Amino acid sequence: MDHHHEQSFVSKYIFSFDHKMIGKQYFTLAMTMGFIGGILAVLIRLQLGFPSRPWPFLENLFPTGMASGIMTPEFYVSLFTMHGTIMVFFLLSLLPVSGFGNFLIPLQIGARDMAFPFLNMLSFWTVVPGAIIVIISFFVEGGAAASGWTAYPPLSGIRSAIPGSGAGQTLWLVGMMFFVASFTMGGLNFVVTILNLRTKGLRLMRMPLTTWAQFVVGILGLLSFPALAAGALLLMFDRSLGTSFFLPAGIFIGDTLMPHEGGSPLLWQHLFWFLGHPEVYIIMLPAMGFTSDILATFCRRPIFGYRSMVYAIMAIGTLSFLVWGHHMFVSGMSPFLGSLFVVTTLAIAIPSAVKAFNWLFTIVKARIQFTSASLFALGVVSLFVTGGLTGIFLGTNAVDIQLHDTYFVVGHFHFIMAGAGLFGAFAAVYYWYPKMFGRMLSERLGKIHFWITFVAYYAVFFPMHYLGHSGMMRRIYDPNVYEYLAPLQPVNLFITIAAFVLFIGQLFFLWNYFVSMRRGAPAEANPWKSAGFEWSTPPKPGHGNWEGEIPEAHRWPYEYAAPGRKRDYTPQWEA
Amino acid sequence: MADEPKASRGNLQGIAMLVAIWAIVTLSVVFGLRHGLPELASDRGYLDTLYYVILGITGVAYIAFQIALGYVIWRYRGDRPGASSSHWHESHRLELTWTLGTAVILVPIVLTGLSQWNRVRAAAPDDAITVIAVGAQFQWDFQYPGADGEFGRFDPALYAIDNQIGLDESDAAATDDWVLTNQLVLPVGRPARILMRSKDVQHAFFLPNFRVKQDLVPGMTTEVWFTPTKTGSYEIACAELCGLGHYRMRAFLEVMDEADYANWLVENAPATE
Repeated sequence: MDHHHEQSFVSKYIFSFDHKMIGKQYFTLAMTMGFIGGILAVLIRLQLGFPSRPWPFLENLFPTGMASGIMTPEFYVSLFTMHGTIMVFFLLSLLPVSGFGNFLIPLQIGARDMAFPFLNMLSFWTVVPGAIIVIISFFVEGGAAASGWTAYPPLSGIRSAIPGSGAGQTLWLVGMMFFVASFTMGGLNFVVTILNLRTKGLRLMRMPLTTWAQFVVGILGLLSFPALAAGALLLMFDRSLGTSFFLPAGIFIGDTLMPHEGGSPLLWQHLFWFLGHPEVYIIMLPAMGFTSDILATFCRRPIFGYRSMVYAIMAIGTLSFLVWGHHMFVSGMSPFLGSLFVVTTLAIAIPSAVKAFNWLFTIVKARIQFTSASLFALGVVSLFVTGGLTGIFLGTNAVDIQLHDTYFVVGHFHFIMAGAGLFGAFAAVYYWYPKMFGRMLSERLGKIHFWITFVAYYAVFFPMHYLGHSGMMRRIYDPNVYEYLAPLQPVNLFITIAAFVLFIGQLFFLWNYFVSMRRGAPAEANPWKSAGFEWSTPPKPGHGNWEGEIPEAHRWPYEYAAPGRKRDYTPQWEA
Repeated sequence: MADEPKASRGNLQGIAMLVAIWAIVTLSVVFGLRHGLPELASDRGYLDTLYYVILGITGVAYIAFQIALGYVIWRYRGDRPGASSSHWHESHRLELTWTLGTAVILVPIVLTGLSQWNRVRAAAPDDAITVIAVGAQFQWDFQYPGADGEFGRFDPALYAIDNQIGLDESDAAATDDWVLTNQLVLPVGRPARILMRSKDVQHAFFLPNFRVKQDLVPGMTTEVWFTPTKTGSYEIACAELCGLGHYRMRAFLEVMDEADYANWLVENAPATE
């Protein structure tokens, strides 16, 4: 098969079959969406830091949501709904999984491309309309969806329940269907590629932890996302065709008794979280893989406890299907079921602790090179432990009664899922950028970016635990309505200022990413002196990845500091 | 080594990581000590005890791990004199220790948590006062059963401006029922059982001072019971997103001593005919 023929612009950059180009397309899409999601976060914090203060210049941008410059409550609800949706699905799933999964899997296992290149292209061009639909929903009558990223019916099921439950919610559901279709195609491709296309000598237990993570993520996506698709479809029927899957009799909204009967709102919660919890690990596992690969390279020593890391990934993947009920302890679900979910939930702490200690012991006896990539990977370790420990509070149902739906939860998941996921993605971009564009990112800008992000991240999200601990609910437009929450305003103001700093810090990254594509120093084939298989390709691999034969894999990807060798690393592909 | 990537130069990053992580730990603890759970006014203090036990365990783990992380980052920075890295990458003893160690710490947390959950979710005592809470966008209505101790039927077809809870007046049990809007009154020291239903979307009945939170689900009746232990006026919040007015779906719980409560009943409950 000749992969190296000249291609037209359209087949090279737009409808490309090349996994690397598709990966890069996902990067561009995910970063665009992430930037929008970040702006939404800034607006949310603007309201919480300065409740109902007028900002006249914002009226020009949002004529209805910020009429006369003051944010309306319904606009606020749309903002956090779309912030969650965009960040969880279109940034934190697309960048590490669809982006890096497609880019890295063939390079790390010695394949010329993914198993199904056409499906891969189709998968990307299926998620693009999904993203466009989600963004367009801001501009329809009633505004974007406003039932939280969890879209609990009846709020999401009845059009008159909130302005965003009109056209905005319909578009949200349609957007999700596109997303699910794309993501399951991707998952199928991951699993088939990893099982079938490994180069000679690359046994499963010689795979880098990034690919192990993507393998398990592929399976999780395939098994969990269809539950969301089914739920979304049934919710559409309830909204448009008059069915009652999630809507019981006796609902009275806007002086009207709804005609539904017999549905169960809890059924939606079960379907949603059957996806929703594995989704958390779909975001987390690749970040864990990146962190392992990057720490090993820059610690100049093998990853500690490789075998237990692989088992931990599998254990987390399996358990992730058995814990969804911990989102529903006080939902009205049977209390006996709640108890079962406590046991499975806290069991996840065990493989998580294994990962954290293995990382710590990878650093012990290391010779750490501080690059932007390694700093972000070290950041993952810190954030992961902080966010993991607060999960023990929430996983214990008796304690969750007080903390459920408070800012304690918001703090928790912004560390463990969003934080570790985001830091892992940043580490990965700094690390693999040379292979993506054949150029180096600026280390100076990278370090500025790291330090602003690391410090501001803690400043934004750690105090949220105090707010939750003091009883501040999530998703409230103005906490000062409550007497017991009003004294917390200085904390909210502090978080808002830190959030602005965090946002500005990300501009260094975007600048670095786009400018270095043209102006970055040219990269060598293996600039970090890494032992991983992907570095056997030319500086900017073409379609087909290797000129000539694909090398064989002779060992695992973590052969650093081997005694008796001249160099401190022995690449996987060298005999 | 001569062929080191440029990026490894610079002592500063390792020290900066140590300082940053240790400072974050210190500040997070210092500021954390300034915040506490809202004042406790119910018999659910045992939940607070478990909360603080978990805070103690995770707090020690957090401080110890982050301090260790900061230290090893500094200690094993690549530019220290005579730096070299080790090929050592496995220790069954260590790996077994932290796997089993984590499990051993979790077992008492799970067991205590489950037993307290059972206590919270046990059936309400027979002497409990029962009130029905009806959640709607964006108000709370509390239905008292009146002298007969029985709640009248409701029918969604009867929801109206002057009948917020859709009470069916033709039901004999309904004649002495009465409703308070955004105000719940309970006597101190007696178990209170709150039955909950929603007229429209989901809400959550959250009493921050009583360690009580329970969702209201349309089509279902949910239930919670607790015993107020302090008199006073406390805020009731909605904790589940219920629409654009979610943030202002607020009510008050007045806890009175027995005598005041009896007087209040006489003064406020409509006389039965």
